[in-house]
Amino acid sequence: MEAVIKQKTISKQYKKRSALGAIWRQLRKNKGAIIGLVLVLFLIIMALISPLIFDYKADITAQNLQERLQSPSAAHWFGTDDMGRDVFARVMYGTRYSLAVGVVAVLIALAVGVTLGAAAGYVGGVFENIIMRVCDIFSSLPSVLLAIAVVSAMGKSTVNLMIAVGIASMAPFVRITRAAVLTVRGEEYVESARAIGMQEGKIVLTHILPNCVSQIIVQATLRVGQAIIAAAQLSFLGLGVPAPAPEWGSMLSAGRSYIRDYSYLTLYPGLAIMLAVLSLNLIGDGLRDALDPKLKR
Amino acid sequence: MSETEKHILDVKNLVVRYETEDGIVRAINGIDIQLGYKQTLGLVGETGAGKTTAALSILRLVPSPPGVVECDLLHIDGLDILSLPDHKMEEVRGKEVSMIFQDPMTVLNPVFTVGEQIAESLEIHEHLSHKDALQRAESMLELVGIPGSRANEYPHQFSGGMKQRVVIAIALACSPKLLIADEPTTALDVTIQAQVLELMSQLKDKYDTSMIMITHDLGIVAEVCDKVAVMYAGRIVEQGLLEDVFNHTLHPYTEGLFNSLPNVKNRTAMLKPIRGLMPDPTNLPSGCAFAPRCNYATEACLGEPPALRAVSDTHSVACAAYNTPGFHIEKGRDA
Amino acid sequence: MHRYILKRLLMLIPVLLCVAFVIFAIMNVADGDPVYSVASADATPEELDALRKEMGLDGSLLTRYFRYIGKMLKGDLGTSYVSKRDVMKTYMERLPNTLKLASLTMLIAVGMSIPLGIIAAVHQNSLKDTASMVLALLGLSMPNFWLGLLLIIVFSLGLGWFPSGGYTAGLKSLVLPAFTIGAGLAALMTRTTRASMLDVIRQDYLLMARAKGVSERKVIRKHALKNALIPIITVFGVQFSNVLGGSVLAETVFSWPGVGRLVVDAIDQRDIPTVTGALVMTTMLVSIVNLVVDIIYAYVDPRIKAQYTK
Repeated sequence: MEAVIKQKTISKQYKKRSALGAIWRQLRKNKGAIIGLVLVLFLIIMALISPLIFDYKADITAQNLQERLQSPSAAHWFGTDDMGRDVFARVMYGTRYSLAVGVVAVLIALAVGVTLGAAAGYVGGVFENIIMRVCDIFSSLPSVLLAIAVVSAMGKSTVNLMIAVGIASMAPFVRITRAAVLTVRGEEYVESARAIGMQEGKIVLTHILPNCVSQIIVQATLRVGQAIIAAAQLSFLGLGVPAPAPEWGSMLSAGRSYIRDYSYLTLYPGLAIMLAVLSLNLIGDGLRDALDPKLKR
Repeated sequence: MSETEKHILDVKNLVVRYETEDGIVRAINGIDIQLGYKQTLGLVGETGAGKTTAALSILRLVPSPPGVVECDLLHIDGLDILSLPDHKMEEVRGKEVSMIFQDPMTVLNPVFTVGEQIAESLEIHEHLSHKDALQRAESMLELVGIPGSRANEYPHQFSGGMKQRVVIAIALACSPKLLIADEPTTALDVTIQAQVLELMSQLKDKYDTSMIMITHDLGIVAEVCDKVAVMYAGRIVEQGLLEDVFNHTLHPYTEGLFNSLPNVKNRTAMLKPIRGLMPDPTNLPSGCAFAPRCNYATEACLGEPPALRAVSDTHSVACAAYNTPGFHIEKGRDA
Repeated sequence: MHRYILKRLLMLIPVLLCVAFVIFAIMNVADGDPVYSVASADATPEELDALRKEMGLDGSLLTRYFRYIGKMLKGDLGTSYVSKRDVMKTYMERLPNTLKLASLTMLIAVGMSIPLGIIAAVHQNSLKDTASMVLALLGLSMPNFWLGLLLIIVFSLGLGWFPSGGYTAGLKSLVLPAFTIGAGLAALMTRTTRASMLDVIRQDYLLMARAKGVSERKVIRKHALKNALIPIITVFGVQFSNVLGGSVLAETVFSWPGVGRLVVDAIDQRDIPTVTGALVMTTMLVSIVNLVVDIIYAYVDPRIKAQYTK
């Protein structure tokens, strides 16, 4: 009887996973994922319109010492900071940095990681061993420390921050891709593709990678969130986006000096980070459930 | 002696359904079981007929949710199982009633030694110390034909047949009055099957245990059972003594089961499998559930599910065709 | 088993050599010649060269690497450019602080996550389950240093229960930083525990245990949990490196004199020997913890032990 019930749920899930539209249908039923999507859309819109509303020089970075450290009010929704700058404007503008750093860092990790992973799995041998050992090393170093080391070696800049965070988030992509390649490498449809004379590179692209795409998408979504946190951490330590750019982590770092009397300075940028990461986590979880019904609980 | 105390097991009108997102799975639709002391009942039917669910509901182990169990009466050795609080029920399981599960590969806990797993029920029910229980566990292992020294080994170190012996040792550790064996040999090699069955019969006689043997294998039934109940789509369609059901088959479904067996004496004879499939338990037909596959089905079969009717003191059948005087199935005619 | 441990320890050596090389390479391509941060402003080129030699900066990257490795094997990680102190000694002074913090963090994470995860799994789809999962999601989404700041605002500045930093208040000064690092780990482990328990909870051997008369409590705590433990331990081991990483932030927020703080300060001051030494030692620590985790596996799951001893 259990078997009958299991069969039913499995067949139901199978029907729904064929195409992109099907994934969307599955995702649409997931309340959390929808909330996440709405939030991310909101953040993207914020990032896009903030330069239209605010002038970077006048509203974001210009000091206005008469108005410094004002509590939240109708004029300054989130108050003003120690330089008299409007915190709301800076938090809103900061969306641009965090999203950009998060997305670009993960794209770097994705591009390098998937290539290395596919190569490792496909070529095998010593090459695979070296890549996987390097992966092990990267995962046994705390990723924050690794990113710190990279940034400090290359110098502080937004681009270097992206690269550092990207390198630190690479290992999971290598692992996933390699594992996927290994599981399908010996499958008959790959053998038959080879038998009909398909080029190796094309086999990897058309027959092997599609098998791990869903896992990679899920991992990438979740990683963007982690990358945003990592970037904020580095900025908090003074190693990220240089001042006076309104990056959330560095705003928190600056606000920290005033934590005793002006705690609102540490509230809003942190909330913004959490909102961004939360929404990506919600989407990532939803995608995982939609793409891989086996993992659904 | 009251009516119920003559039976080790007395079940009246057991209904089990699983309420899932996709609808209600009607696993058991009103069955009665009565089993006398030292008797062995064979519960026969295809996969999905509700045999395992029936066994689990006797132990009150149907997972809930989604399972919903309803029953008018459920007595084990005169004890009203339905009204027992959970901690009393735990005392019944393993002590009064034990169960042997279908797949020995999955029912042993991989992270405990087999000795510990046998000893556990002894510690619970006989209140033995851990040390004494382990010692008794070793002798239980010897009893099922495994050297006691292997008690310290883990399940993955045993073969399938050996594992099933361990499961039997666990089930019999506290000498239960009733043993429910759910397809105990299905997962085993044929040669091992015979050994395990032989072992079970021996031990059953030794401890005067009553038994319910759940199986789809009519050969096993013929070998070990006194009584037979044939299940189809959550109902008992025919029940009686072994002799009644095997030699005076009444129900078309039972006949179909026999016809599906290869005949060694006449190897040129065609197998006559039952056509079609078991109905979807979320969507049972309103009448006799077997009617869509039945060669004898008439209009009369489509109205209501037929009730069991007694044909003799020991033999009863649930088939509307017997409303027509003189009706008999083909197998009956041959016999 | 002993052979397995020995084998693993031997395998650690090449890994550590690689790590040392990676870190050494990264730190040595850093822009700017470190000699300038030490030399006086009016030093002549000859003086600079002499200083380079003294600091071990002459020769190619590889020669310097091998020179470094040679010393490292003798337990010498060089001398700090800034404080002129022995790096190994400084590291060893700071390490106990970080280990204290990491231990309490792990304790908090395990203490919160395993019960929560079990409750969530046992009552799947109930209110308790949803609440635990929402909590875990928030924990995963919250940047740890921000959580640290919030904890200071509430428990230190607001309620005055714990100090906002420093190390003078004994265990009390550990609580907030440990929570800061532990929340994310607890969140992750709650999810892992739940998922792992859900896998196990449907297994036949639990039904068998129930059929033996084992109480529901014991079925979950003994029979299910021991089987569910492997993935939980895995996450625990993998996350140990992130606990050390998290400690960098927490140590900064709470001015805790641990290894993380040491690294960040050293990077700020371009103190390359200290950074390299601390990172190499940290990797070694993580590798050893991973080895310990692998050994624990064997005691939890006899099948894994069988593989090891093969």
